[in-house]
Amino acid sequence: MYRIAWIANRGSSWRVWPFVVIVAMVLAHGCVTTTSPGVPEAERRASALNKSIMCPVCPGESIDQSQNPLAVQMRVIVDEKLALGWSEREIKDFFVERYGPSVLMEPPSAGFGIAAWIVPPLAFALALASLYLTLRWMRRISDRSDENGTEDEERARYVRRLEEATGGDSKTERESSQ
Amino acid sequence: MIVEAGQIALALAFIVSLYAVAASFLGVARRSPELLVSGRFAMYSIPALLIVATGALIYAFVNNDFSVRYVAENSSLAMPREYTWVAFYAGNAGSMLYLAIIFSLMAVVAVAAIRKNLPYTSPYAVGIMALSLAFLLGVMLFLANPLARQAFTPMDGEGINPLLVHMGMFIHPPLQMAGLVAVAIPFSIAIGAMLANKGGNDEWVDQGRLWGMISWLVLTAGLLLGSWWAYTILGWGGYWAWDPVENSALMPWLAMTAFVHSIMVQKRRGMFRMWNMVIIIIAFTMAQLGMFINRGGPVPSVHSFAQSSMGWLFLAFMATTMIASIAAFIWKADTLRSRGKLESLLSRESAFLAQNVLFLTVAFVTLWGTIFPIFSEAASDTVMTVGQPFFNRVNGPMLLLIVMLMGVGPMLPWRRAAPRNILMMLRYPALAALVVGIVLYATGVTRPVALIAFMTCVMVTSGILQEWIRGTITRHRRGEAYHTAFVRLLSANRPRYGGYVVHLAIIMLAAGAIGSSFYSVQRDFAMSPGDTETLGEYRFTFVGTEHASFPDREEDYARFQVYAGDKYLGIMEPFRAEYPSFRIASTIGAIHSTPIEDFYIVPSEFRGDGEAIFRVLINPMVWWMWASGPLMALGTLLALSPRRSRATARSPLPAGAQGARA
Repeated sequence: MYRIAWIANRGSSWRVWPFVVIVAMVLAHGCVTTTSPGVPEAERRASALNKSIMCPVCPGESIDQSQNPLAVQMRVIVDEKLALGWSEREIKDFFVERYGPSVLMEPPSAGFGIAAWIVPPLAFALALASLYLTLRWMRRISDRSDENGTEDEERARYVRRLEEATGGDSKTERESSQ
Repeated sequence: MIVEAGQIALALAFIVSLYAVAASFLGVARRSPELLVSGRFAMYSIPALLIVATGALIYAFVNNDFSVRYVAENSSLAMPREYTWVAFYAGNAGSMLYLAIIFSLMAVVAVAAIRKNLPYTSPYAVGIMALSLAFLLGVMLFLANPLARQAFTPMDGEGINPLLVHMGMFIHPPLQMAGLVAVAIPFSIAIGAMLANKGGNDEWVDQGRLWGMISWLVLTAGLLLGSWWAYTILGWGGYWAWDPVENSALMPWLAMTAFVHSIMVQKRRGMFRMWNMVIIIIAFTMAQLGMFINRGGPVPSVHSFAQSSMGWLFLAFMATTMIASIAAFIWKADTLRSRGKLESLLSRESAFLAQNVLFLTVAFVTLWGTIFPIFSEAASDTVMTVGQPFFNRVNGPMLLLIVMLMGVGPMLPWRRAAPRNILMMLRYPALAALVVGIVLYATGVTRPVALIAFMTCVMVTSGILQEWIRGTITRHRRGEAYHTAFVRLLSANRPRYGGYVVHLAIIMLAAGAIGSSFYSVQRDFAMSPGDTETLGEYRFTFVGTEHASFPDREEDYARFQVYAGDKYLGIMEPFRAEYPSFRIASTIGAIHSTPIEDFYIVPSEFRGDGEAIFRVLINPMVWWMWASGPLMALGTLLALSPRRSRATARSPLPAGAQGARA
């Protein structure tokens, strides 16, 4: 109770906030500096690409992670192809042609690979739906037993009144039966 | 001689564990207390036998007894003696022995703790634990005996895998394995209670929660130390790669996280009795799956240290226990009816359920990604890789949702929450998040996802702090000094405030993960001695390389002078060791770590002419991830610590002490 009152006393400050926020955002927008940490665009593209290509001889590691000679060689190829103006897609296809689709760190979004991508969101949606339905079902069961509960209480009250009307004997009986 | 004694002890332990299974279940069926006591004492005797076997293996290692095959395969004359500890569990057979002894010790403590408090549950729990132990011991005896001799004795052993020669390897693998087997204890208690028809009476809940949280903590520690090891030694500047073995350790952790939350609903409200059984069955299955994937599973992984075909036995055992426990669950489902009622859709009960569902969904999706390569091979004849980018994209949003829920869930009261009150309580945390969001935006954190994630972290943190501050102030007004008020607040409801401490640690972990995955900067430099390069505000000069030769390895140390702006940070010395006989290189990065960011140098290649290639990274906020570990342990212990007033009556310890004496 105390907590609610404490908040309610300060309820008027709600109205000030939107203005504070807008002013702050305007100020902030003026201050925004696009920080470039000093990595050339070509290198950034290369390392992003390296992270999406697997090292064929070191299971589970991308060519970006791996120190295996083959991975080093593949990194060099990526750099060269990028310098020649190849697109990310072309470079990936180049490696897929040589090493098969398993060389990509992500399953392809075509063919059977689609299944990998569809299942997670489907699972998530199903989980949320079943959560909601379960909670509603539990709630409804509780409602039903709530009704029973109130009926029981009414009956108990009724019995008590009856007993009071009939005298003390049944009262002791009730207590002993409890 | 000593090795043979160990072998005999191992065989005896197997027979005794089978006896414990038989005595416990027969004892229940025939209502014979004598059999039950005998089964329990059989269980108590197993650790002693396994200690003999363990001692024998250590003896063989220390004396370089290469006539023992396992010793020959996992150590060498050149191996420093202290690495016997690592060599012990470096291979399959030894890690099985480690698993068996650590599990038998935990099981004995657990049995001693529950036998007085849970007299009906305990015989079943003993039976289930003994069965799991018998499985481990059987596999060891018949397929992977660590003490087996070989026909001919080599002059020297093959040596230890150099990737394991690192501080992190002293703690990470044993903790991780201990965490995985520890899940069997809350599982045994839960299933035992259910079989004893006590699942509907909540007496097992305290012990189930205690052991659930212990295994959760051990798993957490194992995962964190594993990440730390990967970060400092694997030399790619990351700490988590969604590798199959990492995933298989993460899945039981996720399921146990769900369990330690939902068990609270049963403890406080007598609800979710069936659900808790389901979760613990899932957690136990996932833990076994973890063992299976680790022991030579079907998916390629960087953790393939101990490949073997016996992984399939683990799979068979997993399938058997899963089917058996589901059958038991269906058989006993009637005894698991709820006492409490769900009064409102907006309540702590539903928040807990939502948490459970989200965690299990993440676990399922992780499982899906981990085993998808097998499906793809079966369906399309090509093994498709499911790597880090996939998991980041798929699990990232769900994990963010979990963090958001962490900000709201604990604020909801049991039974029924008024939406208005919730909004009121979220007011200041939301304001704090907004202010920090604006400041972050102004300082250049402009990526929407990162911004939302950081703001969520701030909201959760300030929500927790708000709760603490208000509680302390309330107590202060009643006349307590601020510090006593704060301490008493925390100890008044330990499960709750311990939980808050763990939540704060999780936020630290999340902040580190968000910062480093969105704002990590990485660049490769080819440098000759004398060269100076810059990355961000860091300026580093490559002084030169020092070479050192050892019998088993060649080491190259690179020396750097590092400045941040004008400030001299000192010398940094990353190095790389080549192990010719293993054709493996291990790289130790040099890290200058601050709470804001890590400056990380790792050598990729040393060339003959003095030139070398270095990978240099700036990883923001990784420090917070390692700092979260101790806080997580502290919070868990706080949540577990019995209340002083009830300590004499309800603490599991006196019961355990009695059990040990009896």
